[in-house]
Amino acid sequence: MIRRGGSGGFLTGVCLGAVVLWSFATSDMELSRLLSAGPRIGEFLGRMIPPDLTVMSEIVDGTAETLRIAILGTLGAVILSVPLGLAASETMVPPVIYRSVRTLLALIRAIPLLLVAMLMVGAVGLGPMPGVIAVAFHATGMLGKFYAEAIDGVARPPVEALQSAGAGPLVRLRHAIWPQMAPVIARDTIFRFELNLRESLILGIVGAGGIGFYIQTYVRSFQYDKAASVTIAVILLVIAIEVLNVALRKRFS
Amino acid sequence: MTRVIDLVDLSFLHSGAELPALNDVSLVVEAGEAVVLLGPSGAGKTTLLALLDGRLQGWTGCVSVLGRGLAPDAPPPVAARPDTGFIFQEFALVERSSVLRNVLNGRLGRMSSVAAFFGRHSEHDLDAAHQALADCGIGELAHRRVDSLSGGQRQRVAIARCLAQEPRLILADEPVSNLDPARADEILALITNAAAKRGATTVFSSHQPELALRFASRAVGMAGGSVVLDRVVSAMSDAEIGALYHDVVEGAVALRLVQ
Ligand SMILES: Nc1ncnc2c1ncn2[C@@H]1O[C@H](COP(=O)(O)OP(=O)(O)OP(=O)(O)O)[C@@H](O)[C@H]1O
Ligand SMILES: [Mg+2]
Repeated sequence: MIRRGGSGGFLTGVCLGAVVLWSFATSDMELSRLLSAGPRIGEFLGRMIPPDLTVMSEIVDGTAETLRIAILGTLGAVILSVPLGLAASETMVPPVIYRSVRTLLALIRAIPLLLVAMLMVGAVGLGPMPGVIAVAFHATGMLGKFYAEAIDGVARPPVEALQSAGAGPLVRLRHAIWPQMAPVIARDTIFRFELNLRESLILGIVGAGGIGFYIQTYVRSFQYDKAASVTIAVILLVIAIEVLNVALRKRFS
Repeated sequence: MTRVIDLVDLSFLHSGAELPALNDVSLVVEAGEAVVLLGPSGAGKTTLLALLDGRLQGWTGCVSVLGRGLAPDAPPPVAARPDTGFIFQEFALVERSSVLRNVLNGRLGRMSSVAAFFGRHSEHDLDAAHQALADCGIGELAHRRVDSLSGGQRQRVAIARCLAQEPRLILADEPVSNLDPARADEILALITNAAAKRGATTVFSSHQPELALRFASRAVGMAGGSVVLDRVVSAMSDAEIGALYHDVVEGAVALRLVQ
């Protein structure tokens, strides 16, 4: 790193300090409250132990629903991302089009999934459906961008060779561009599916279906031992997804 | 004899370049010839080959390839393109596809768009592809993926794709520039024999006159975008062949092209 002039560094330090002090002073940060919280956290944890394992069937149902949300949400995102990815590609459409589509995709990415899910719950009611729509919408922001990059990352010489041999644009897309981008698209889609699965675990907290719904229900009704079981199940699912991810990454690298 | 290439006062300026890459080139190539383009870097060899392949627009003069005039402002019609085959210096293969798929890609321009899109090849397509693979000595590699091949094998795939296209004119840009002398010999023999067998005309560029002249029937020397030498090889002695590069420079001096 290159060191800038000393006065610039000093000014940055003062600004950072001011920001931290301001945050402290305006956020009700009192040490006494933290100290008195100790026993209450202990009691809370105590009520979670032992976890109530009678909720097994809810866990299985919730997991299955989360999986369905992730699968349908990913499918929806793929369907939306194919045309949007083509329209966001530098090599397929004029700058006016790909620039505006890219901006649109960036805007979609900027909206948090839980916010979309809450709006969808408001629009279509509780259950997995708002979850599927929210996941499809949110994931399109990333997948559309990835698809465009997959198209633009294709080596051009083989495409030009087919053109020189007399192949038209669609034939070139099929035989020179598609074989190069297919593995990238497959990898990106699986990667996004895994993210969707992970994010769908908590969608139930805002009423958009899946296993998260049970955590929220049990916490609200003070059944902490049941909430603990579901939480453990979620942690195990995240670990399972991680293991799957590592295996897939090996397969695709 | 029919004229496969007929150039009259052809000039071309790359966009952004100050000097023309081709300068009043007039050249006739008859059917069945094997012409080698010689000349120093920047002479215009690659430019001339790409232009003959219909990939450059905006030139002046008259260009006729295989009896069809090229338009200076529009790419040639799709139907005309399969008759001119190009062997790319960097091979330009689809790495993740099989060898056979890449060679069949040479057939796509001769099929209807629908059949080409779905890859529904005729018996004749498959015969042409397998014959090309056999001629290139890589018949047994047909089902290997290109990204599992060596550089030399890839080059043979690139040549096979061009042959499967059944072009009447084969253009090759420095087909042996990165090869050791023995391999270079093999590849030039392969291209010129396959072309002769199919009755195709060949134009290729090279920086190795001694080697190239064993396979070419005619040498065209270029410098600074102009043709400075044009000789039938059978009429040349070994000494003349050895002096060829010198002659190209002499020709350039005569045209006052050397800085
Ligand atoms: N895309 C381009 N844009 C601008 N100028 C170019 C371009 N391609 C080639 N030129 C110029 O045109 C002239 C001829 O180049 P060309 O590549 O045809 O030469 P060459 O004979 O093939 O050389 P080499 O033996 O090095 O391959 C050179 O002066 C080169 O700088
Ligand atoms: Mg060149």
